[in-house]
Amino acid sequence: MIKMRESVIMKIHYGTALGAVALVAIHILFRMTQNFTVSLQYENVIANYHLLPYSLMLEVVLILLSIHGFNGLRVILLELKQGIGYEKIVNWGCISAMTALVAYGSRTILMAGMGIS
Amino acid sequence: MERQSNREGIKGMLNPTRYGIERVAYWLQRLTGLGLLFYFIGHVIETSAIVNGKAAWDNMLELTQTTEGHIILILVIGMSAYHTANGIRVMLGHGGIGVGKPGTPDYPYKAASLNYKQRASIWISIALAIIAMLYGAGVLFGD
Repeated sequence: MIKMRESVIMKIHYGTALGAVALVAIHILFRMTQNFTVSLQYENVIANYHLLPYSLMLEVVLILLSIHGFNGLRVILLELKQGIGYEKIVNWGCISAMTALVAYGSRTILMAGMGIS
Repeated sequence: MERQSNREGIKGMLNPTRYGIERVAYWLQRLTGLGLLFYFIGHVIETSAIVNGKAAWDNMLELTQTTEGHIILILVIGMSAYHTANGIRVMLGHGGIGVGKPGTPDYPYKAASLNYKQRASIWISIALAIIAMLYGAGVLFGD
Protein backbone atom coordinates (compact mmCIF):
# COMPACT_ATOMS: atom_id res chain seq x y z
CA MET A 1 0.00 0.00 0.00
CA ILE A 2 1.28 3.48 -0.89
CA LYS A 3 1.69 5.63 2.21
CA MET A 4 1.47 9.37 1.81
CA ARG A 5 2.52 11.89 4.44
CA GLU A 6 -0.33 13.96 5.87
CA SER A 7 1.63 17.13 4.99
CA VAL A 8 1.58 16.08 1.31
CA ILE A 9 -2.14 15.26 1.56
CA MET A 10 -2.82 18.73 2.99
CA LYS A 11 -0.91 20.33 0.09
CA ILE A 12 -3.13 18.34 -2.30
CA HIS A 13 -6.15 19.46 -0.24
CA TYR A 14 -5.19 23.13 -0.61
CA GLY A 15 -4.23 22.74 -4.29
CA THR A 16 -7.53 21.10 -5.19
CA ALA A 17 -9.36 23.85 -3.28
CA LEU A 18 -7.68 26.67 -5.21
CA GLY A 19 -8.17 24.90 -8.54
CA ALA A 20 -11.82 24.18 -7.77
CA VAL A 21 -12.55 27.80 -6.75
CA ALA A 22 -11.30 29.10 -10.11
CA LEU A 23 -13.11 26.47 -12.19
CA VAL A 24 -16.39 26.57 -10.21
CA ALA A 25 -16.42 30.35 -10.79
CA ILE A 26 -16.34 29.65 -14.58
CA HIS A 27 -19.05 26.98 -14.13
CA ILE A 28 -21.31 29.51 -12.36
CA LEU A 29 -20.54 32.24 -14.92
CA PHE A 30 -21.89 29.89 -17.61
CA ARG A 31 -25.27 30.04 -15.84
CA MET A 32 -25.07 33.84 -15.74
CA THR A 33 -24.48 34.30 -19.49
CA GLN A 34 -28.27 34.45 -19.82
CA ASN A 35 -31.29 34.45 -17.53
CA PHE A 36 -30.70 31.80 -14.80
CA THR A 37 -33.89 29.82 -15.53
CA VAL A 38 -33.36 29.98 -19.31
CA SER A 39 -29.75 28.79 -18.93
CA LEU A 40 -31.06 25.62 -17.24
CA GLN A 41 -33.32 24.64 -20.14
CA TYR A 42 -32.56 21.19 -21.60
CA GLU A 43 -31.29 22.48 -24.96
CA ASN A 44 -28.93 24.99 -23.31
CA VAL A 45 -27.50 22.43 -20.86
CA ILE A 46 -26.98 19.84 -23.64
CA ALA A 47 -25.27 22.54 -25.74
CA ASN A 48 -22.92 23.19 -22.80
CA TYR A 49 -22.04 19.47 -22.58
CA HIS A 50 -21.37 19.35 -26.35
CA LEU A 51 -18.74 22.07 -25.91
CA LEU A 52 -15.57 19.98 -25.47
CA PRO A 53 -13.49 22.50 -23.43
CA TYR A 54 -16.45 23.00 -21.07
CA SER A 55 -16.98 19.23 -20.68
CA LEU A 56 -13.29 18.76 -19.94
CA MET A 57 -13.49 21.55 -17.38
CA LEU A 58 -16.51 19.86 -15.74
CA GLU A 59 -14.51 16.62 -15.52
CA VAL A 60 -11.61 18.43 -13.85
CA VAL A 61 -14.02 20.18 -11.43
CA LEU A 62 -15.59 16.81 -10.63
CA ILE A 63 -12.19 15.26 -9.81
CA LEU A 64 -10.90 18.28 -7.84
CA LEU A 65 -14.08 18.64 -5.73
CA SER A 66 -14.32 14.89 -5.10
CA ILE A 67 -10.73 14.73 -3.86
CA HIS A 68 -11.14 17.88 -1.75
CA GLY A 69 -14.58 16.96 -0.38
CA PHE A 70 -13.85 13.37 0.59
CA ASN A 71 -10.42 14.24 1.98
CA GLY A 72 -12.13 16.92 4.08
CA LEU A 73 -14.62 14.34 5.34
CA ARG A 74 -11.71 11.96 6.09
CA VAL A 75 -9.95 14.68 8.11
CA ILE A 76 -13.12 15.42 10.13
CA LEU A 77 -13.70 11.71 10.85
CA LEU A 78 -10.07 11.20 11.88
CA GLU A 79 -10.23 14.22 14.21
CA LEU A 80 -13.19 12.63 16.00
CA LYS A 81 -11.70 9.20 16.63
CA GLN A 82 -8.40 7.41 16.10
CA GLY A 83 -7.34 3.78 15.90
CA ILE A 84 -5.63 1.57 13.31
CA GLY A 85 -8.79 -0.29 12.24
CA TYR A 86 -10.97 2.83 12.30
CA GLU A 87 -8.45 4.87 10.29
CA LYS A 88 -8.20 2.12 7.66
CA ILE A 89 -11.99 1.99 7.29
CA VAL A 90 -12.24 5.80 7.04
CA ASN A 91 -9.36 6.07 4.54
CA TRP A 92 -10.61 3.32 2.25
CA GLY A 93 -14.27 4.34 2.67
CA CYS A 94 -13.48 7.88 1.54
CA ILE A 95 -11.32 6.70 -1.38
CA SER A 96 -14.10 4.31 -2.50
CA ALA A 97 -16.83 6.97 -2.22
CA MET A 98 -14.66 9.46 -4.10
CA THR A 99 -13.99 6.96 -6.90
CA ALA A 100 -17.68 6.07 -7.15
CA LEU A 101 -18.71 9.74 -7.39
CA VAL A 102 -16.08 10.51 -10.04
CA ALA A 103 -17.17 7.45 -12.04
CA TYR A 104 -20.87 8.39 -11.82
CA GLY A 105 -20.26 12.05 -12.72
CA SER A 106 -17.93 11.08 -15.60
CA ARG A 107 -20.64 8.79 -16.97
CA THR A 108 -23.04 11.79 -17.13
CA ILE A 109 -20.45 14.04 -18.78
CA LEU A 110 -19.53 11.36 -21.35
CA MET A 111 -23.10 10.34 -22.18
CA ALA A 112 -24.42 13.91 -22.40
CA GLY A 113 -21.37 15.04 -24.37
CA MET A 114 -21.70 12.21 -26.89
CA GLY A 115 -25.47 12.52 -27.16
CA ILE A 116 -26.17 9.06 -25.68
CA SER A 117 -29.48 8.95 -23.82
CA MET B 1 -9.23 4.10 30.52
CA GLU B 2 -8.02 7.51 31.76
CA ARG B 3 -7.40 8.58 28.17
CA GLN B 4 -10.84 7.38 27.06
CA SER B 5 -12.62 9.40 29.75
CA ASN B 6 -10.93 12.60 28.56
CA ARG B 7 -12.23 12.15 25.03
CA GLU B 8 -15.10 14.54 24.35
CA GLY B 9 -15.77 13.37 20.81
CA ILE B 10 -18.15 15.41 18.67
CA LYS B 11 -19.31 17.50 21.68
CA GLY B 12 -15.78 18.74 22.30
CA MET B 13 -15.25 19.44 18.63
CA LEU B 14 -18.44 21.50 18.34
CA ASN B 15 -18.09 23.43 21.62
CA PRO B 16 -17.74 27.07 20.47
CA THR B 17 -17.67 28.59 23.97
CA ARG B 18 -14.13 27.67 25.00
CA TYR B 19 -11.88 29.23 22.37
CA GLY B 20 -13.76 32.27 21.06
CA ILE B 21 -14.16 33.24 17.41
CA GLU B 22 -11.38 30.86 16.29
CA ARG B 23 -13.42 27.85 17.41
CA VAL B 24 -16.54 29.28 15.75
CA ALA B 25 -14.55 29.66 12.52
CA TYR B 26 -13.23 26.08 12.95
CA TRP B 27 -16.62 24.44 13.23
CA LEU B 28 -18.25 26.70 10.65
CA GLN B 29 -15.52 25.58 8.24
CA ARG B 30 -16.32 21.93 8.96
CA LEU B 31 -20.12 22.35 8.90
CA THR B 32 -20.02 24.29 5.62
CA GLY B 33 -17.60 21.68 4.22
CA LEU B 34 -19.97 18.85 5.07
CA GLY B 35 -22.95 20.81 3.73
CA LEU B 36 -21.12 21.49 0.48
CA LEU B 37 -20.07 17.84 0.13
CA PHE B 38 -23.70 16.71 0.54
CA TYR B 39 -24.81 19.34 -1.98
CA PHE B 40 -22.06 18.29 -4.41
CA ILE B 41 -23.12 14.62 -4.24
CA GLY B 42 -26.77 15.68 -4.72
CA HIS B 43 -25.78 17.96 -7.62
CA VAL B 44 -23.91 15.14 -9.43
CA ILE B 45 -26.96 12.86 -8.98
CA GLU B 46 -29.56 15.49 -10.01
CA THR B 47 -27.64 16.56 -13.13
CA SER B 48 -27.40 12.91 -14.25
CA ALA B 49 -31.10 13.27 -15.20
CA ILE B 50 -29.88 14.97 -18.40
CA VAL B 51 -28.93 11.58 -19.90
CA ASN B 52 -32.55 10.37 -19.55
CA GLY B 53 -33.92 12.95 -21.99
CA LYS B 54 -35.83 16.23 -21.88
CA ALA B 55 -38.81 14.93 -19.87
CA ALA B 56 -36.59 13.59 -17.08
CA TRP B 57 -34.58 16.84 -17.02
CA ASP B 58 -37.73 18.97 -16.85
CA ASN B 59 -39.11 16.78 -14.03
CA MET B 60 -35.89 17.23 -12.08
CA LEU B 61 -35.96 21.01 -12.68
CA GLU B 62 -39.55 21.14 -11.40
CA LEU B 63 -38.32 19.66 -8.13
CA THR B 64 -35.43 22.08 -7.73
CA GLN B 65 -36.89 25.29 -9.17
CA THR B 66 -39.14 25.86 -6.17
CA THR B 67 -38.98 28.29 -3.26
CA GLU B 68 -37.48 25.55 -1.05
CA GLY B 69 -34.98 24.66 -3.79
CA HIS B 70 -33.96 28.31 -4.10
CA ILE B 71 -33.54 28.65 -0.32
CA ILE B 72 -31.25 25.58 -0.32
CA LEU B 73 -29.27 27.11 -3.20
CA ILE B 74 -28.93 30.42 -1.30
CA LEU B 75 -27.58 28.50 1.71
CA VAL B 76 -25.15 26.70 -0.61
CA ILE B 77 -23.97 30.08 -1.97
CA GLY B 78 -23.37 31.31 1.60
CA MET B 79 -21.56 28.11 2.56
CA SER B 80 -19.36 28.30 -0.54
CA ALA B 81 -18.43 31.94 0.09
CA TYR B 82 -17.58 31.33 3.76
CA HIS B 83 -15.73 28.04 3.13
CA THR B 84 -13.64 29.65 0.35
CA ALA B 85 -12.76 32.86 2.20
CA ASN B 86 -12.07 31.16 5.53
CA GLY B 87 -10.19 28.36 3.74
CA ILE B 88 -7.84 30.93 2.17
CA ARG B 89 -7.33 32.42 5.66
CA VAL B 90 -6.45 28.97 7.02
CA MET B 91 -3.99 28.36 4.15
CA LEU B 92 -2.30 31.72 4.80
CA GLY B 93 -2.17 30.89 8.51
CA HIS B 94 -0.51 27.54 7.79
CA GLY B 95 2.03 29.46 5.72
CA GLY B 96 2.74 31.72 8.70
CA ILE B 97 0.99 34.77 7.25
CA GLY B 98 -1.10 36.70 9.77
CA VAL B 99 0.08 34.58 12.67
CA GLY B 100 1.32 36.47 15.73
CA LYS B 101 4.97 36.48 16.80
CA PRO B 102 5.94 34.08 19.59
CA GLY B 103 6.62 35.71 22.95
CA THR B 104 7.09 34.86 26.61
CA PRO B 105 3.86 33.60 28.21
CA ASP B 106 3.26 36.52 30.61
CA TYR B 107 0.09 36.86 32.65
CA PRO B 108 -2.65 37.62 31.55
CA TYR B 109 -2.06 34.97 28.88
CA LYS B 110 -3.02 36.07 25.41
CA ALA B 111 -2.83 33.62 22.51
CA ALA B 112 -0.34 34.84 19.93
CA SER B 113 -1.55 32.27 17.40
CA LEU B 114 -3.95 34.64 15.67
CA ASN B 115 -3.36 38.35 15.30
CA TYR B 116 -5.92 40.99 14.37
CA LYS B 117 -5.52 40.34 10.60
CA GLN B 118 -6.54 36.70 11.01
CA ARG B 119 -9.39 37.58 13.39
CA ALA B 120 -10.63 40.28 11.00
CA SER B 121 -10.48 37.74 8.16
CA ILE B 122 -12.93 35.50 10.03
CA TRP B 123 -15.45 38.35 10.25
CA ILE B 124 -14.78 39.31 6.61
CA SER B 125 -15.50 35.68 5.61
CA ILE B 126 -18.84 35.79 7.45
CA ALA B 127 -19.68 39.18 5.89
CA LEU B 128 -18.78 37.91 2.39
CA ALA B 129 -21.06 34.90 2.91
CA ILE B 130 -23.97 37.19 3.84
CA ILE B 131 -23.34 39.48 0.83
CA ALA B 132 -23.12 36.46 -1.51
CA MET B 133 -26.38 35.06 -0.11
CA LEU B 134 -28.15 38.39 -0.63
CA TYR B 135 -26.85 38.58 -4.22
CA GLY B 136 -27.89 34.97 -4.84
CA ALA B 137 -31.37 35.66 -3.45
CA GLY B 138 -31.63 38.64 -5.83
CA VAL B 139 -30.74 36.46 -8.84
CA LEU B 140 -32.89 33.45 -7.87
CA PHE B 141 -35.99 35.29 -6.71
CA GLY B 142 -35.57 38.19 -9.13
CA ASP B 143 -36.37 35.99 -12.18
